[in-house]
Amino acid sequence: MPEFLETTVDKFIFKVATDRYYSSEGIWAQAEGNRVRIGLTDFLQQRSGDVAFAEVKPAGTALAAGDEVAVIETIKVNISLTSPVSGRVAEVNPAMETAPEIINKDPYGEGWLALLEASDWEADRARLLNAQAYFNLMKGQAEEEAKKL
Amino acid sequence: MTDQHDVAILGGGPGGYIAALRAGQLGARVVLIEKDRVGGTCLNIGCIPTKALTTSTELLLKARRAAEFGISIPSAQPDLPRLMAYKQSTVDGLVSGVEQLLKERRVTLVRGEASLTRPDTLQVTGSDGSASEISVRHVILAPGSITARPPIPGLDLPDVITSTEALDISEVPAHLIVVGGGVIGLEFACIYEALGSRVTVLEMMPTLLPGGTDEALAKRLALILRRRGMEVHTGATVQAIEPAENRLRVKFAEAKGESAVEGERVLVAVGRWPNTAGLGLAELGVRLNGRAIVVDERLATNVPNVWAIGDAVGGMMLAHKAMVEGRVAAENVTGGNRTVDYRSVPNVIFTRPEVASVGLTEAQARANGAEVKVTQFPFSANPRARILGEAEGLVKLVCEAGSGRVLGVHMMGPHVTDLIAEGALAVQIGATADDLAWTTHAHPTLPEAMLEAALGFRDAALHFHTR
Repeated sequence: MPEFLETTVDKFIFKVATDRYYSSEGIWAQAEGNRVRIGLTDFLQQRSGDVAFAEVKPAGTALAAGDEVAVIETIKVNISLTSPVSGRVAEVNPAMETAPEIINKDPYGEGWLALLEASDWEADRARLLNAQAYFNLMKGQAEEEAKKL
Repeated sequence: MTDQHDVAILGGGPGGYIAALRAGQLGARVVLIEKDRVGGTCLNIGCIPTKALTTSTELLLKARRAAEFGISIPSAQPDLPRLMAYKQSTVDGLVSGVEQLLKERRVTLVRGEASLTRPDTLQVTGSDGSASEISVRHVILAPGSITARPPIPGLDLPDVITSTEALDISEVPAHLIVVGGGVIGLEFACIYEALGSRVTVLEMMPTLLPGGTDEALAKRLALILRRRGMEVHTGATVQAIEPAENRLRVKFAEAKGESAVEGERVLVAVGRWPNTAGLGLAELGVRLNGRAIVVDERLATNVPNVWAIGDAVGGMMLAHKAMVEGRVAAENVTGGNRTVDYRSVPNVIFTRPEVASVGLTEAQARANGAEVKVTQFPFSANPRARILGEAEGLVKLVCEAGSGRVLGVHMMGPHVTDLIAEGALAVQIGATADDLAWTTHAHPTLPEAMLEAALGFRDAALHFHTR
């Protein structure tokens, strides 16, 4: 189990796992050997709403960091998710086809999106945010959102 | 009988009767030979009776949701004898309508089976046992298709049924197992599910609706059915059907290993085969590809004056494809020079939700080397769909990247089997996304989803956004 940084904004609790890296859009990336697992942050999944469908680019798709890797559809909105790393899709979480709502239930665990064969993880990692940096960014975003309500 | 006909048509299904009507309209003396009732598989045991059943079962489910719409209906239940009567009277009414039309076009209807002895001579065995010969100038073969029988042990067991028996519902099985997750299998799966059966679907291919349906939509449909409680196995090869006390056991293999499921009835719906045996085709030298008759783009076979249409020539086995081929063949045998434009032949599937498509899928368009832009719009953002309480699904347009020309339209959701007509027109006339977007669509209607999807081509959808 990863450890979490946690904040409460307007009665919503948002968690950030400390054992991985983040894009400012709210996609986490965690290296596993020469592969990188990616998924949505707790903040992004809560902000998106209940996931009805998820379409992830199929295994074999080559991506540059910043390219669309998946689209999730919720009642409210279609959300285009961009890959935090460059590389090739090696594996898509099979649960995305059978029970994509797992993203809402377990964003940092069972709700992962895909495993990528990273072409230059060190370069990607240098660009990405660490947990504390993302936590600070996310907290600001969450407070902004709360003000709009 | 002597040479009193210009055209003989073998088979009175949607392809054959349309060919007869059109040839009659063009002044030809036409004889139509049908061994059973006119209308063929489609009208008697296919499209029409299944749609009567989907209409009834949709009403049942809607009635059960009546409270959502502020209407009190205490308990809606199926009444099977009446349901069968409604289905049959719908079919009968349409069959007699076709018979009337044929009379008005002065088409001679012969009840019996025919085979070709020469390109201009038909041997007919009448339904009453009488034998006769018909000489004609042209023959249009429209023998249709038969239920495919896969080599599965146990196929002959009682309670292993085809779509024909599945139409006749005197009781609802507690558990129906459907072998084949194509259009026929899934339509029946949804009908029996609505009537109260537990339903398991076993499809051999990796996705439901294999053969042309947009893969993303097929996967979505599988997810929707599973969420509703239907058991859907894809990539599942049926190995055998065997008796199990008062039930049937279906053994199958899938990626995670071998498995078995038991039910009261097993519907085998793994497709259809061209019905080309016994027509004398091989003897006459008519070229076949497997069971399918080989035709050129004008629907002529390799034997002069012998033409073929519909399921018997393979391709998309759809009534409306047979109908357009019937029109084309009728025009060609009367001196015309027409070909079928298959690009705009839509495919419609009356599942819940419905699925419909026309033209190329995204994958096909890319494989053709086109640079494509795909745009989609969900019914959850369409007011009419929300009013109907059927907001599940989407409209997806596959457009040529630069010009915006519509290459394909793929839909899932309320009444998309009707809505696809606009997509078919767009594909047929080479319309662009802008053409669709600047065609004012009435509000509040379901076709607005098409307009919004088209606006998406310029990233300008108004009632929805992607962030």
